[in-house]
Amino acid sequence: MIFSTIYFLFLYFPIVLILYYITPLKWRNIPLFIVSLVFYGWGEPVYLFVMLASITINYLLGLVVDRYKRRDDDKGARMAVAASVVINLAILFFFKYWDFIAGSLEAVGLTFMPKLGLELPIGISFYTFQTMSYTVDVYRGDGHCQRNPITFGTFVTLFPQLIAGPIIQYKDLDKQLEKRTHSAEGFASGVQVFVIGMAKKVLLANNLGMLWDVYKATPVAELTTAGAWLGILAFSLQLYFDFSGYSDMAVGMGRMLGFSFMRNFNYPYISKSVTEFWRRWHISLGNWFRDYVYIPLGGNRVSKGRHLVNLLVVWALTGIWHGASWNFLFWGLYFAVLIIAEKFFLLRWLEKLPSFVQHLYTVFVVLVSWAIFAVEDFGQMRGYLAAMFGFAGGGAMNASFGYYFRSYLPTLVLAILACVPLWNGLWQRLEEKKPVVLRVALPVLLLGGLLLCTSYLVDATYNPFLYFRF
Amino acid sequence: MSKKYAIFITALFCSFLAVFLAANALTPDQEFSELENRTLAQRPELTLKSLASGAFMKDFETYTTDQFVGRDAWVGAKARLEALMGKQENNGVYFCDQDTLITRFDTPDAQQVATNLGYVEQLAQKTDVPFYFGLIPGAAEVWADRLPEGAPNASQKDVIDQAASAVPSAQQVDLYSVLMAHKDEDLYYRTDHHWTSLGAYYGYTALMEAMGITPVPLSDYEKTTVSTQFYGTVFSSSGVRWVQPDQIDIYVPDTGVSVVSHTYDQKGNPVEEPRALYDYSYLDVKDKYSFFLGGNQALGVVTTSHTDAPKLLIVRDSYTDSLIPFLTAHFSEIHLVDPRYYKGSVSQYIQDNDIDQALVLYSVPNFVSEKQLVWISQ
Repeated sequence: MIFSTIYFLFLYFPIVLILYYITPLKWRNIPLFIVSLVFYGWGEPVYLFVMLASITINYLLGLVVDRYKRRDDDKGARMAVAASVVINLAILFFFKYWDFIAGSLEAVGLTFMPKLGLELPIGISFYTFQTMSYTVDVYRGDGHCQRNPITFGTFVTLFPQLIAGPIIQYKDLDKQLEKRTHSAEGFASGVQVFVIGMAKKVLLANNLGMLWDVYKATPVAELTTAGAWLGILAFSLQLYFDFSGYSDMAVGMGRMLGFSFMRNFNYPYISKSVTEFWRRWHISLGNWFRDYVYIPLGGNRVSKGRHLVNLLVVWALTGIWHGASWNFLFWGLYFAVLIIAEKFFLLRWLEKLPSFVQHLYTVFVVLVSWAIFAVEDFGQMRGYLAAMFGFAGGGAMNASFGYYFRSYLPTLVLAILACVPLWNGLWQRLEEKKPVVLRVALPVLLLGGLLLCTSYLVDATYNPFLYFRF
Repeated sequence: MSKKYAIFITALFCSFLAVFLAANALTPDQEFSELENRTLAQRPELTLKSLASGAFMKDFETYTTDQFVGRDAWVGAKARLEALMGKQENNGVYFCDQDTLITRFDTPDAQQVATNLGYVEQLAQKTDVPFYFGLIPGAAEVWADRLPEGAPNASQKDVIDQAASAVPSAQQVDLYSVLMAHKDEDLYYRTDHHWTSLGAYYGYTALMEAMGITPVPLSDYEKTTVSTQFYGTVFSSSGVRWVQPDQIDIYVPDTGVSVVSHTYDQKGNPVEEPRALYDYSYLDVKDKYSFFLGGNQALGVVTTSHTDAPKLLIVRDSYTDSLIPFLTAHFSEIHLVDPRYYKGSVSQYIQDNDIDQALVLYSVPNFVSEKQLVWISQ
């Protein structure tokens, strides 16, 4: 199920709220688990079995890890953690990477792996990462072993963050699963975050997505340089508002249900370096790789050569996590190179330059990265990048560029303005100085946002879900 | 945020959801949207099979948007918002000069075009009566100067030129030149994709020229306006609700032309249904273009009083409906075949019914997207 739909907003979610709040406090994980399963099964009911199997296996392995730990049998506990990691990765590998590897082998003449053509279970990259964090956290003592299968199931399936994150580590949710406080203040703040997220997705991302689709569909020979940049700018903004909008909706709904999830995006496009960009973009994924891959590999407390290898491994994995295709791996390595360069010398140089140059550099390399990310076919990607750098089949610009630029200018300006934290700051200043103004403005903005989103959802000609590859 | 205020915000959000939840539950579902001119999705049947395959969920999604309370108002509001945000199109319809709405025409699927042209050529080769082929350029081509500045617009002329070389066995009807020559006149409806009776008249002159017949001069007709409240299909899909309605004119009076629509009932028995050259009942509903010949039909036979004139067969789309009145002066019978619904052999039909001349007549946008033309090559 997808948040930005009429049936989610006006049927599913109200029912969830009703069921949740009529249930006595201590039983509330039960309705939450059930509605989350419905949410997950809505798109591809068969994969509910994969989900339930994953829950059962990880639940049991969590118990095993805990038992060995109690007996001070570190080796046994490690084995159980290893089993859990292997099983989770095997599930992920089978559904997500099998065909990719089979196809790649086929391309070099090896055909022993048949292509399976399986539909990718939605959100599998998110929930397998969460279940892996569970056994590891139990082993490390960062989280408690969960003995109640319903509670554990709720952790895995929790619908607000199930299919597009944030990727919540078990240690951060552990206590909230057992005990949550529900307050009107929490609910109301959740409403605000939710409506902002919905508006980001429905009003900005979907609109910008239509512009990107125009340029994505343009044959390379007809691309213009101006058009290629306009297209990739649209995609950059679409992806950001889609993804962060989705995360905001998750955070908002979480608060309405008494949870507190981490924020997943922190104004990434205001970064002054790639290193900073990745501290602000998809934060929960970066944290996950840091805590469960980079640091266990030794992080930066190793020899220089080993450190480089660690960085390359983490970024290659980050890339391929986004989709089973070579361009995603390439995209990850592109960032590895930039981040390594920044670590060893670039950052020191950049810091000496005026800040607008640093912003310009970051926006430039990030926009280029999105072209690698968004265009899967290498031939087409080369053509698209060439067009961006002046080697465009269609010349510098054409009449249709003018048409699209004019048509989308107000939306683009609005979207770019929404990338900076200025408004949030203004809002907070107003809250201190003129709270009365806000008290009138807030309900107007909330209702206005909901009404606008509703009109776009009712006439939903374009409402893509971008993370089906994740 | 004070506790009281937080309760207020919480209540506001919950009531917003509750109001629509209740309104959707209480308002009865509609069968058909007059404004959008289409049947609306109904509540899908919940079965184990539809649930397991996910078909239920897909249908349910369409059902909830189609039956959302106040749908027409939301759709109109969204179009307004798009225009307000500087957009010059909505749902694939351009907002054009002179209060006109024109459906986008994008580069057609080359494969489909070549295949369809192949089917026409096959039919032309199979028939031994004089065979004509005409493609009608749509408003996006003829009224290109009304489109927003720089709006992408694929060439329909290219398709017409391709047709001339791909269908050598047919004589081409040059509709393009004659319509372009009159492009400053009201050739198309501003809110519908069809040509007007005036546009159809110029199409008629092009056809007559190809057939070597002298057309009736326009000045011989008396124009009658039958409706001034026509909102067409482009209006429907655009969501734009701020344009003026079109008017429907006719030039040829109905002087006892009989029209019979042939179809089959569920058991496969032939059924005949009387139609009329002009069906005035359609002027009272949204779908006013069906005033001409009463709308879609698989096979229609128009019989005129000119019993000694030749018989014409037209494989066609709905543009032909408003062309027929002009043709009645020159033919004894006009047989109309719509391959979307008629699945018999057209060449056999021509033989069986002593057809004297055959014509394939399509608008370019319909022709390039038509997936049922395979039937005419049988």
